[in-house]
Amino acid sequence: MLTRLAGGHVIDPAHGTDAVGDLWFEDGHIIADPGADPGAGIGSDRTPDVTFDATGCVVMAGGVDIHSHIAGANVNTSRLLLPDQRGADGGFDSAPDAAAIGRLYAQMGFTTVVEPAIPPHVALQAQRELAAIPYIDKAILAVLGNGDYELGLLRDGEGTAALANFAGRMLAGARALGVKVINPGGAAAFRENVRSFGLDDEVPSYGVSSRAIFTAMQQAVVALGVPHPVHLHCNNLGMPGNVETALATIEAAGDLRLHLAHLQFYAYGKEGPRGFSSAALRLVEALATRPNVTADVGQVMFGQTVTVSCDTLRQFNARGQAHPRKSVIMDGEGNGGGIVPYRYSRRSFFNAVQWAAGLELFLLAPDPWRMFFTTDHPNGAPFTAYPDLFALLMDRDLRAQWIETVPKEAMSVCTLPSIAREYTLVEIATMTRAAAARLLGLADRGHLGPAARADIAVYRPQADRAAMFRHASMVFKDGRLIVRDGIALPEARAARGRALAVQAPYDAAIDRHLGDWYERVYGVSHAAFDVPDFAVGLADPFEAVPCQP
Amino acid sequence: MTDDDPTCRIGGRAATRSEAIEAAAAVLRDSVCPLILCAEIDVAGTEAAVALARALGGIVDHVQSPAALRDLGVMRDAGWIVTSPLQARARADLVLLVGPGLDAAWPDLAERLALDAPPPLAAAGARRVLRLCPGAGARDGAQDEDTIRSTPAELPGLLATLRALVAGRRVTPAAPERAALAAWAEALRAARYGVVVWSAATLDALAIEMLCGLIDALNETTRFAGLPLAPGGGAAAAMQAAGWEAGFPLPVGFGRFHPEHDPLRLGADRLIGSGEADAVLWIGTDPGSAAAPHLEDAALIALVPEAEVQAASGAAVAIAIGRPGIDHDAVQWRAELGALAPVVASARSAAPSVAEILRALARAAAPAAEAVSC
Repeated sequence: MLTRLAGGHVIDPAHGTDAVGDLWFEDGHIIADPGADPGAGIGSDRTPDVTFDATGCVVMAGGVDIHSHIAGANVNTSRLLLPDQRGADGGFDSAPDAAAIGRLYAQMGFTTVVEPAIPPHVALQAQRELAAIPYIDKAILAVLGNGDYELGLLRDGEGTAALANFAGRMLAGARALGVKVINPGGAAAFRENVRSFGLDDEVPSYGVSSRAIFTAMQQAVVALGVPHPVHLHCNNLGMPGNVETALATIEAAGDLRLHLAHLQFYAYGKEGPRGFSSAALRLVEALATRPNVTADVGQVMFGQTVTVSCDTLRQFNARGQAHPRKSVIMDGEGNGGGIVPYRYSRRSFFNAVQWAAGLELFLLAPDPWRMFFTTDHPNGAPFTAYPDLFALLMDRDLRAQWIETVPKEAMSVCTLPSIAREYTLVEIATMTRAAAARLLGLADRGHLGPAARADIAVYRPQADRAAMFRHASMVFKDGRLIVRDGIALPEARAARGRALAVQAPYDAAIDRHLGDWYERVYGVSHAAFDVPDFAVGLADPFEAVPCQP
Repeated sequence: MTDDDPTCRIGGRAATRSEAIEAAAAVLRDSVCPLILCAEIDVAGTEAAVALARALGGIVDHVQSPAALRDLGVMRDAGWIVTSPLQARARADLVLLVGPGLDAAWPDLAERLALDAPPPLAAAGARRVLRLCPGAGARDGAQDEDTIRSTPAELPGLLATLRALVAGRRVTPAAPERAALAAWAEALRAARYGVVVWSAATLDALAIEMLCGLIDALNETTRFAGLPLAPGGGAAAAMQAAGWEAGFPLPVGFGRFHPEHDPLRLGADRLIGSGEADAVLWIGTDPGSAAAPHLEDAALIALVPEAEVQAASGAAVAIAIGRPGIDHDAVQWRAELGALAPVVASARSAAPSVAEILRALARAAAPAAEAVSC
C-alpha cells in the first residue's frame, strides 16, 4: 500500500532535513517521493492509496530509547514488590505492565526501546516480557563482566579472543543487541563481602580490577564487531565526589568506543556547604576531548519511583534510603539485581542537585549526537516523565519556574540558573532518533530516508510542549498507523514488534569449555539458559542485526 | 487426535473439542463471577488465563498462591535478600535448611545443591549443612550438632532465639536448645557465604519473616542470602507471568475492568467458599483431588489431560489438554536454574495446550474483547 504523509514539517537530522514536505512509504518502508523519482519523471502516475494530512504538524522518525528498564526479572520483581504503586495509567509510579509500556511509549512516538540490563541467565524471561509489549520493537543488552567464568578468563590472562568468544556466545544465547557492563567486578566482589568497589579495586578471588574488566570487554566487543559499544554503568554510582570515578573511566577508555550510562548519577562533586555539588561541567569538558565516548543522561524528575539495578553492591548500600522502606537484593550469576523504591523530593537539597546536574549535562553538552536522552527509567524517573523533560529542555522560562520551587542552596552548587540554552526540535530529533539509532547500529531507523523503516511520529505543536510530546497526533510502525490523536489504537495492539538481536560470531569450541565449567560449578548445562524462538511465544520474534567486523 | 475426536465431555457425555468449547463459553458468558483456578500451568497458559479473565471481567488464581503469597507477603512488607540455586551450590560454605517438607518441595534439592560436596567457588574448602526442624515431629529422632528438631509451631521461637544470639543479645529464659543455637549463631557469623533454604508450603509467614530478619542481620558483617523454594504446580511461573501481564501477582481480578490484586477478596478459597464464584474454570489435573476446591453450586469447567477427562465427572464441561513440557514445549520455572526456562516436550502429542484452549474460549465467550486483547 502506497501511503503519503502530506504537508508536515519534516525534521530528519540524519539527512539534514528541516522543511515542510511530503513523506511516502510503502510495504513498511520509506520510499523516495515517486513524483521526484528521476526514473519515473515529474508527474509520475503513482497515486497514493491513502493520504494522511500532517499540515501544521512536526514529522520525525519514531523515537529510539537506548536505555529503559522495561523487562526482566528485576523489573518484574519491582512490580511484585510494589503493588501499591499502580497509578491510573497502569503503573506510573513504578513499572507499568507490559501492555501499558507499549501503549504509553507508542503514544509518545517512540517505536524502539532497549532494555539495557539483562543477565544472560534470565534472558528468557526478559525476552518473553518484551514479546508481551505491544506496538514497538525492543532489544536487550546482555550484562557481562561480573560472572565467575569471564573473571577466570581475565585472571588467567586468556586474552581478547577468548573473552570475545565468550561474549559472542552469551549474546547469541540471550539474543541480545549488545554488551552491558555494570559496576565491573562490583557484584562479584559483593558476593565476597566487599562493600565498596572503585575503578582500581580488585575482585578478591580473581585479582582483576574494574578497569581491567571493562577495558578488556571494550576490546572484545570491537573484536566481535558488535555495532553498539560497551554500555558501561560505572563504579560508585550516586556517591558524592564520584565525578572523579567517571573522569578516570573516560580516560581509561583510551581510544576505543565506550558508552557511559546515566552519567548524571556520576556528576557529583563534594563542593558546597553540604559536601555535595554538581560537577556536570567537568564531565562535559572531558567528553569534548574524547569523541570515542558517548553518554546518556539518566535525568532525575521529582516524584515516587523505584530504582532497579544489577549493581547489587550499590543497591545493598542504598537500602537505608528506601521509600517505602523495603527492598529486594538478589545475588545471581554475573550481576543479580537490587530493587529499592525511592522518592525524589522537590524539597530535598540532594535531589534538587541531581535534577540540576542532569539538566546541565543536556544543556552544556555541545553535541546532541553524543549525549542521549534518558531518565534511566525508572531509576531517575518513569519514562512517562519524558514529555515534561522535553519541555524543560526547550523552554528556559519553564526551567526558571521549576528552579523557584527547589531549595536555593541546591542552586548555589550548580550552574543551571545561568544556562539560557533552549533545545530546538532538530536537536530533540537528533538526540532521540538519529543519534540513538546510529549508536545502536540500526541503519534502518532513526531517520526518514528511503529504505528506512516507516516508523514515524507526527506531533501537533502546541504551547504546552509536554502535551505535544505525550500524545503524538499520529504514529506509524512499519507503515501501520498505531496511534491517532494521542491514543494507541486497540486494533493495532496485536502487532507486538520484534526484538533486535545482533548476530555475533563465536567459535563453537566455547560450548565445550562452558559446558565443562557449568557442569563442574553449577551442575547444569550452560545451554539451559539459551533463548530459543519457540519459548518467546511469538512467530518470528527476532530481527537480526549484523555485526561489522 | 483431531478436533472431531470425542476427547471432551459435556455433562458427562462424549463431545468434540469445538462442541465442548462452545458449551464452556456459554457457561462463562452466563457467569457473573467466573474464576479461573490453575493447579498446573505454564507461562503461556498464565498469559492466556489473564487475557481471558480480562475479557470476562473474571478472576485468575492458583491453588498454590496462599503459599506463594506467604513468601511474597514478607518480601513486600519488609523486603529480603535472596540468591539463586546456582550461587548456593557454587559458593555456600554454610547451608541452613529450615522446616519440614523441603524434600517434598524439591526432591532433587540435596543433589542439585551438592550439599555433600565442597562449594567449587568458595575460598574455604568445606560446606556445612545445618538442619532446623527437618521433620514434622517433635524432639524425637537423631539429634546431632548439625540438627535441631522441633515442631513447626516452635520454629518462630527458635528462630527468634537464633536471631537474638546472632545479634549478640542476651536470651532469657534460656530455651532448651540454647547451647546448640549459640554454637550455630557462631557458625552463621563465621560463614563466608551462607544460604538459608525454606519452603513456604510448610512455613508460616512469621517464620519466614524471622528468617529474612536473620539474613538481614547476618549481612551486617558477612554475606548471607535466602533461597525460598518455589511452590509447585507452576505457581512460580504463574506469579511472574501475572506480574508482567497484569502488573500484579495472583490472584488478580478484572471485575472492575482494571486489574486488582486483593488476596483476601479475590482468593479462590473465599470466592468458592462463599459461593461468589458461580463458574470455576479449573486448569490442571484431577479436579477431584484434595488440592481442588469443593464446589457447591458453581458450574465447573475442567481443563485436564485427556486420560482424566472421564474422571472429571462433576464437571459441566471437561476439555482435554496437553501437559506443559510433556505434550508440548513450554516455558516453566526450573528449580535447579532458579529461572524461567524453555522445556522441550518429552512425549510430544497433538493435545492442545492450555493457552490454545483459553484463547479459543476467549474468542467464543467474549469475541469483542478478544479482538483487542493483548
